[in-house]
Amino acid sequence: MSSRRRWHCLSTVSGVTATVPDQAALALRGLTKWFDRKLAVDGIDLDVPVGSFYGLLGPNGAGKTTTLSMAVGLLRPTGGQAFVLGVDAWADPVTAKRQLGVLPDSVRMFDRLSGAELLAYSGLLRGMAPAVVDERSRDLLDVLGLTDAGTTLVVDYSAGMKKKIGLACALLHAPRLLVLDEPFEAVDPVSAALIRDILNRYVSGGGTVIFSSHVLQLVERLCTHVAILADGRIKAVGTLDEVRAGRDLEQVFVEVVGGRVATGQELSWL
Amino acid sequence: MSTVSGQVRSWHFMRLKLRIIGNGMRGRPVRIVLFVFGMVAGLGMAAAGFLAFVASGVVDNDTGLVIAAYVGSALVLGWLLLPLLFFGVDETLDPARFALFPLPRRTLATGMLAASCVGTPALATMLALLGLVVAGALRAGVAGAVVGLAGAVLGALLCVVVSRAVTSAMAAMLRSRRVRDLTAVILTLLSASIGPLNLLLGSGVGQASRGPMLLAARILGWTPFAAGFVAPYDIADGRPLLAVTRLALVAVTVLLLLWWWSHTLESAMLGGSSEGLAGKAVRGGAVAALLPRAVRGAPPGVFTAVLARELRYWSRDPRRRSGLISILIGGAVMPIALTLFPGQRGGSGVALPISAAFACAVGGVITANQFGFDGTAYSVHLLAGVPGYTELRARAAALSLYIAPVLLVVAMVVGLISGKGDELVPTVGTMAAVYGVSLGAASLVSVFAPYPVPESRNAFASNNGSGSAKGFLSFVIMIGSMVVASPVLLGSVLLPGGWRWLVAPVGVAWGIAVLLLATRAGATVLDRRGPELLAAVTPGR
Repeated sequence: MSSRRRWHCLSTVSGVTATVPDQAALALRGLTKWFDRKLAVDGIDLDVPVGSFYGLLGPNGAGKTTTLSMAVGLLRPTGGQAFVLGVDAWADPVTAKRQLGVLPDSVRMFDRLSGAELLAYSGLLRGMAPAVVDERSRDLLDVLGLTDAGTTLVVDYSAGMKKKIGLACALLHAPRLLVLDEPFEAVDPVSAALIRDILNRYVSGGGTVIFSSHVLQLVERLCTHVAILADGRIKAVGTLDEVRAGRDLEQVFVEVVGGRVATGQELSWL
Repeated sequence: MSTVSGQVRSWHFMRLKLRIIGNGMRGRPVRIVLFVFGMVAGLGMAAAGFLAFVASGVVDNDTGLVIAAYVGSALVLGWLLLPLLFFGVDETLDPARFALFPLPRRTLATGMLAASCVGTPALATMLALLGLVVAGALRAGVAGAVVGLAGAVLGALLCVVVSRAVTSAMAAMLRSRRVRDLTAVILTLLSASIGPLNLLLGSGVGQASRGPMLLAARILGWTPFAAGFVAPYDIADGRPLLAVTRLALVAVTVLLLLWWWSHTLESAMLGGSSEGLAGKAVRGGAVAALLPRAVRGAPPGVFTAVLARELRYWSRDPRRRSGLISILIGGAVMPIALTLFPGQRGGSGVALPISAAFACAVGGVITANQFGFDGTAYSVHLLAGVPGYTELRARAAALSLYIAPVLLVVAMVVGLISGKGDELVPTVGTMAAVYGVSLGAASLVSVFAPYPVPESRNAFASNNGSGSAKGFLSFVIMIGSMVVASPVLLGSVLLPGGWRWLVAPVGVAWGIAVLLLATRAGATVLDRRGPELLAAVTPGR
């Protein structure tokens, strides 16, 4: 653990005052992450406007999860800053985290609680009144179709159910910014449609969503804004139409990321 | 895989394990330090064992027999009990990872066994057992050395196999829902562990008369515990056939255990039964479902929430449950063994305030890696911004709600049975002081030296190759808490009778004060280093 070194780097960087637009729900400034000698995220600048539905696209290993983890306060950046509704997430984490709802990927929940218990736990940790927690939990379990699984432990949920209960935990305290890492992975089409509707309603009610994905069709249907990430850098960014520029999003994506196409010569033994 | 046609051999597993241990330490100075500490401690134990075995070859025949039998039995017993109580079994190589490889069970079992022999405890045991070869040579020349070597090899194998077999069997048992009733398990194991402990403690070396000790050694010599270690004496007595019989006894035991273990290995590969409760809608509110009845009256908030979740986890997470049960057993056995079975010293035994305090020193140790057991789930706390002070205090409170009543009841029962009821008041003081200090120390360690715990099905799974370092830390915490609480302990023994009641209030205040100070200190670090803690307990990084 080289935590001391990271601390040092951060304190030198946070001395610089970055300019943050007022209307940004999430603003990243020069966000950088080194893992030992490997550069995972290379100085990302990003502005997520309030009320936008933002898609963070990128191939596997592009640095999506790393970037989002640094933005929400789970992973300390080597350099740079993250602002949640104008609040520096690393200088004043408590205020920043109060506004945030997060669904991390490849992170376990306290999965030996039942769905209802997990929701109650999230609510009480956030300092909510028990009556409010009870009411909202009932609503969320009902809407997400998890009421029948009431006393089943989350560890025994299917992958899709786990995503849904995770989303419910992120929504419970009615945050103003939702940060979702791969919210549609391993989710069946019915549940995916449901999650899509909930998120659409949330955005039309004034909330902001940023989510990572590599399902291009979904991003094309949902998002107002898109950023394409590869090798720890932003390769393309803007509103959906700006990034597409009249073409198919998949075309743009492959071109920007620089993927290879199978010619038919390789794997001849297959 | 470069060799598609090549055979998978045991040394592949050993190399794989070494590689995993090595990679686990790359760029992690704390783990390297822990590993080195573990190695040093292991070498110390090995040297002590080696000297004890060599000594058995130098002294007269009967005393040598007694030493060989007792040290050998203690060694095997240690391998049997210590993983259950403190160390956990080293699951650097998780059998489940091999489920998809086309490996015959035989190859897998021997490979896993060979890999188990790579590690500080196994190496220390082998070094110590070399003393047996020396002793055999001193006792009966070349033939003695050969028999000693055979006994040493078989003994080392027995140690490794017995710990693997017993932990996987226990893990399966504690996992099944039928054995949820804590008291049943505690009582069974309690009665099971008193026997051997009593045997060892009840014949305190040196004090006792030779007769019963020699008899006990001869009996042990016909059990797998010591048969391999006393075999050289048969050569010295001119009865080689007897020596071969003893060695065969150990060999058969090893083979039986191996056969049994290789079968449990298969079920470990497939994964155990699901723990799920039957799915049905919740009655009442979500909050009421979270809070156990014991804390339902507490004001709802962050502290209560963490407390409630911890209480649920101690009973629901199989890894935690087995740890808690072991601690409760250990906590109950120690004062009973030390106070009620005092050996041949004239029946007084260890003073109750001291023996009960021993049990309490173990009590807090279980939280020394409390964040490691949460794993990445700790991110929930990080995202909600749980204050470190609340976090550490709530966790300490949850554990205390389980442990304190059991320890108090045990102390009371032991005190009354042994006719030392008048010592109960100071005992409460020493128990509170030692428990508070050990819990505080463990809380500090949990913040400063967290490490990931494999998400294995085996409740006794340990961390990546540093199981001995972990055990070493536990012992440091235990000894340290006895030292920090020593004024209270001394007071309970040295104060004149009329003043001993003072130990109770002072001890309780002492324990609470140290616990609050330690959690306060740990909290300031936790508040600053939350993300680093999360990274440290994330498995597979």
